[in-house]
Amino acid sequence: MNWEGLDISILGPAFLAGLLVLATHVPLGQQVLARGIIFIDLAVAQIAGLGVIVAYSFGWEAGGWQVQTIAMTTALVGALLLFYTERYWPDVQEAIIGCVFVLAASAGILVLNSNPQGGEQLKELLSGQILWVNYQQLIPAALIYAAILGLWFGLRKRRHRLLFYALFAIAVTVSVQLIGVLLVFASLIMPALAVRHGRGNGLVIAYVTGAIAYAIGLSFSALFDFPSGATIVWALALSGIMAASVIAITHALRR
Amino acid sequence: MRKFKLMIVGLLLLAVLPVHAGLQVFACEPEWAALSSAIGGDKVSVYSATTAYQDVHRIQARPSLIAKVRKADLVICSGAELEAAWLPLLLRRAANPKVQPGKPGYLMAAMQVERLDVHQAVDRSMGDVHGAGNPHVHLDPKRMMIIAEALAQRLVEIDSGNTEFYQQQLLRFMQQWGDAIHKWEQQAAPLKGVEVVVHHKDWRYLLDWLGMKEVATLEPKPGLPPKAGHLSKLKQQMAEQPASMILYANYQNKRPAVWLAEQTAIATVELPYTVGGSEAATDLIPLYDEIISRLLAALE
Repeated sequence: MNWEGLDISILGPAFLAGLLVLATHVPLGQQVLARGIIFIDLAVAQIAGLGVIVAYSFGWEAGGWQVQTIAMTTALVGALLLFYTERYWPDVQEAIIGCVFVLAASAGILVLNSNPQGGEQLKELLSGQILWVNYQQLIPAALIYAAILGLWFGLRKRRHRLLFYALFAIAVTVSVQLIGVLLVFASLIMPALAVRHGRGNGLVIAYVTGAIAYAIGLSFSALFDFPSGATIVWALALSGIMAASVIAITHALRR
Repeated sequence: MRKFKLMIVGLLLLAVLPVHAGLQVFACEPEWAALSSAIGGDKVSVYSATTAYQDVHRIQARPSLIAKVRKADLVICSGAELEAAWLPLLLRRAANPKVQPGKPGYLMAAMQVERLDVHQAVDRSMGDVHGAGNPHVHLDPKRMMIIAEALAQRLVEIDSGNTEFYQQQLLRFMQQWGDAIHKWEQQAAPLKGVEVVVHHKDWRYLLDWLGMKEVATLEPKPGLPPKAGHLSKLKQQMAEQPASMILYANYQNKRPAVWLAEQTAIATVELPYTVGGSEAATDLIPLYDEIISRLLAALE
């Protein structure tokens, strides 16, 4: 046991980052589940990363906002591509997403062959670490997420499929840099998966499930000195199982 | 009952008051933790952020790392961009004014000595090259003496009450180390001029000190994994002019080294990269003992 890590000034920004990511990713995750395109976030993140290393190999030494712009633009282009593949070949969309993921990852390796320094950029982009986040970094992320949520719930009545792909690309590009691909995937899929049989208030239950998991995962990683991201992934899985069981039991009792 | 209450109060006080075992030293790598313990003795309590089996270029964030840096009086790391992927983030998150760059509590070991392979302009075609030079300086015992001096000076600066103690410790370290270097150089005399293939350029300083010659690296460029064209060229080079051994560090993937060994019948040698990298390498001097004895064994 290690009490010194259990400090709100150490865990606070990470917890807030988790809540922000959950805010957008839970509703998007429900959509992802409904469409059966589970690995889309990995594909989109990989495409965003590919954009950045390609930009580097052209000698464009960008930092800060330029990298963000490139990543965001390539992610959006990738999302547009996936939107069209879903339109023309909906029955094999998941397979196409898988192929796009390995192609983007392999293309990255090929480009890096002559430009290893872009590799650092790629790693930074794909393996954000939740503990390194500070409050200032969360402000732009919070603004972007707020805009995404506003559009998503504001246009509830006449949502175009393209809107989902575009918002998804932006959300994932931001969150992967904050907390890394593993945690993004878990936050997207696990709470949504847990409440898929729930009625009405599923979204609220999913939010609560996710928030509890982040709190427990972070505390656990502090107390037992585990890497935080991986610990939270397991906490999300366990709290998801608990939530799903509670939902199943209440359904059974009502019958 | 009263005794019991007192005991509770005492325990509470113990929990609240920081256990102050002298200066708190946060070392990025085991070699600097070992050096800090050698110079700081019982006046310091040392924490190493990584173990000998981790690749220090990249580590996973744990809450305790931030907590330790927050409490630290001194942060000692290799520097020269070795920890560039995580140390700046960690220092920023910990926000401890005592150990920020430029403060006495921030000591980058490699920056205290002359470095090899310093590149004026780092070109992206060169691979994962550190512009500030090769950072693996702890494998040159002479540079270690300079770093030990710099460390002692910092400890004096931070904790002037124990000046005399640190100076004595440094003196003792220098004597031991001087004797050890003398012994190692005698033992390692047969290694002079021996040609080796290395996995990564982490043996740069060791080879330079012992007068050994690096004739090829398994990595086509620093930080890039070995690939087919490069390996076949290496194989050809070894067929024409075989090296004596293939070196790789305990934390590296040994498959490229083993592959080349199978193709060429040259011996591979696994060397502990730092303190804790092998069972015998429990401290800095045993680390060097172990490296030299393994090299000598491979020569026979």
